[in-house]
Amino acid sequence: MRTRDIFSYSFSAIKLRKLRAGLTTLGVIIGIAAIVALLSISQGLQTTITNQLEQGLAADTLIVSVSTGGAFGGASGGTGGGGFGGGSSGASSGFKLYLNYTEEIKGLSPDIEAAFATVQQSGYLQDGDRVRAISGGISGVDFAEYANIYSTTFVAANGTIPLNPSNNDIVVGARVHDPRSNGTIFVNVNDEVTVIWTNATQLPFTNQTYTAHVAAVLPKIGSFGIGGPSDTGVYVPISQAQSFFGTDEASAIIVKLTNSDNATITNVSKLITDHFSNQVNVISATAVLSLLTTIFSTLTLFLGGIAAISLLVAGIGIMNIMIVSLIERTREIGILKAVGMKSRTVLSIFLCESVIIGLIGAVIGIVLGWGLANIVAVLFSGGGPFGGGGGLAITPILTPEVGLLALGFGVGVSVIFALYPAWRASKLKPVDALRYV
Amino acid sequence: MTLTTPVVEITNLKKTYMLGKVPVEALREVNLKVERGEFLSILGPSGSGKSTLLNLIGALDKPTSGKLLIDGVDVSKLNDNQLTEIRLKIGFVFQFFNLIPRLSAKDNVELAMSIAGMSKVERTKNTEQLLETVGLKDRMNHKPAELSGGQQQRVAIARALANKPRFLLMDEPTGNIDSKTAHEVIELIKKLNAEGVTIIMVTHDQNLAKEAKRTIQVFDGVIESDMVN
Repeated sequence: MRTRDIFSYSFSAIKLRKLRAGLTTLGVIIGIAAIVALLSISQGLQTTITNQLEQGLAADTLIVSVSTGGAFGGASGGTGGGGFGGGSSGASSGFKLYLNYTEEIKGLSPDIEAAFATVQQSGYLQDGDRVRAISGGISGVDFAEYANIYSTTFVAANGTIPLNPSNNDIVVGARVHDPRSNGTIFVNVNDEVTVIWTNATQLPFTNQTYTAHVAAVLPKIGSFGIGGPSDTGVYVPISQAQSFFGTDEASAIIVKLTNSDNATITNVSKLITDHFSNQVNVISATAVLSLLTTIFSTLTLFLGGIAAISLLVAGIGIMNIMIVSLIERTREIGILKAVGMKSRTVLSIFLCESVIIGLIGAVIGIVLGWGLANIVAVLFSGGGPFGGGGGLAITPILTPEVGLLALGFGVGVSVIFALYPAWRASKLKPVDALRYV
Repeated sequence: MTLTTPVVEITNLKKTYMLGKVPVEALREVNLKVERGEFLSILGPSGSGKSTLLNLIGALDKPTSGKLLIDGVDVSKLNDNQLTEIRLKIGFVFQFFNLIPRLSAKDNVELAMSIAGMSKVERTKNTEQLLETVGLKDRMNHKPAELSGGQQQRVAIARALANKPRFLLMDEPTGNIDSKTAHEVIELIKKLNAEGVTIIMVTHDQNLAKEAKRTIQVFDGVIESDMVN
């Protein structure tokens, strides 16, 4: 019998039992949709976070901070404080990172191109009668060096970043400019604002203020800018920070390397930690990224496994239905065999039915899963009801590999679970099958 | 397979079933030869072994011992797959029609051809011709449930003829239809035989058996009589 004829015969058998076939297919649809949705969301999330990290933390950059488990990035703040750093040892060692250590660090290795310090404090910004806490912190940085390292993120979306800033110039992140991302502007370029810092190092606490001029607004970066500029940060010239905060301690020292080879990164990291007798944390983009990649592949595997279980259940459903169908069609099989159909063809017809169910289920499942992933992404992204205003935009990603994998998996599971019923059908003896009423 | 090869040749045929642990001799010593163009009826009451004989001649089952040649091929030596191929040379007509309910008359006939691997174009042409032969061309798009018993049996006959079989093997072809339509079916069978189709018909109905040119009577697993009507 020709393949096309086998297909059309199988299809006519499926069409006859639409409800039953539909329910069987639904099992496959749900399984495949779950797999596709989970995989594309987790892949999208991974890409989003990785991209933002790569932007916020240049690959050839190391961030040196006191090993206390606190904020480890010069201008980070937006990352939820030490979530990735893991350095909590030596919290009370009394070790301090001073601004002039940059020179020492520079001298450690020829692979170091530049090193500069950042000073960060939390504070407020006042524009007219409106005051906002700056959650990304007020950071003192060398505008020229900072712009050099974070050349894609520390750029002006509005205004200009002065390379030789006067003391009252400041640069603000996108969400300081427009806190709700909806056009309600808090500060704008060329505004005169008041920078407020509560000095808590002495009693009584005093509010220190100075009037600053907003020189530039940064573009929207995202919330994962470890080390690099943050959407919620305010940047002031390092010298101004030093005198305003009255300190010569650095929150972090950013080290720019001449290259981003893994060997260089490991090597220089070790040199720096050794130089400061293990009292500092050195974080590199590579280390954070590889950790994240590990976390995500484990997560993907785990979620995929859960989805695979639902597909397994679907497979058992297919087997069940096929056995029922086989019993119902015993007589039909008898007729087919009496008329001259070979066992192999009977087997093909039953397998073909499962291929059709698997194929339809997989295709619908992929489309549905993709739709589901997009809905979830919208709901949980910055603007959505569950977004929490994090500004983290997930774009689900469906690679051709995942699509093909889902298709193959759907069809594969259907066929595997149809093997036994199909084999039983093919083994029916025509004499017995014809006698069956 | 020359023109003179008998379509069926049976020598010392035996078939024993195991009914639980008791062996039952359904056929003991059967000898029979059916030549091309014959119209033979096999007559016998229930339990006589005629159904067993039908299954064997139809290559649905294998004999316990003896020789059974269908179109010159010894069936007892074939495996299941080869038996199936032999069945393409046999046109089955069953008492309960055994059409596929979800397929139209046309598709039922076509199915037999597609099983034999015939191309779509050829199938369509042959099907229309066959349904015209059995007088059902105007009803070819009807499903079995929309046809009367007699019409269903005529579709079944058209299907049996689909692959130009060596002979038609009929099991009580009128057993499930009313006497008036039964008459039409018998006339069709006679017409086909007159056109050269070999027919072997199994029945317990003496009146039907008389319509054939030759009748053999089976009783208790042996052929009791073999006569020309």
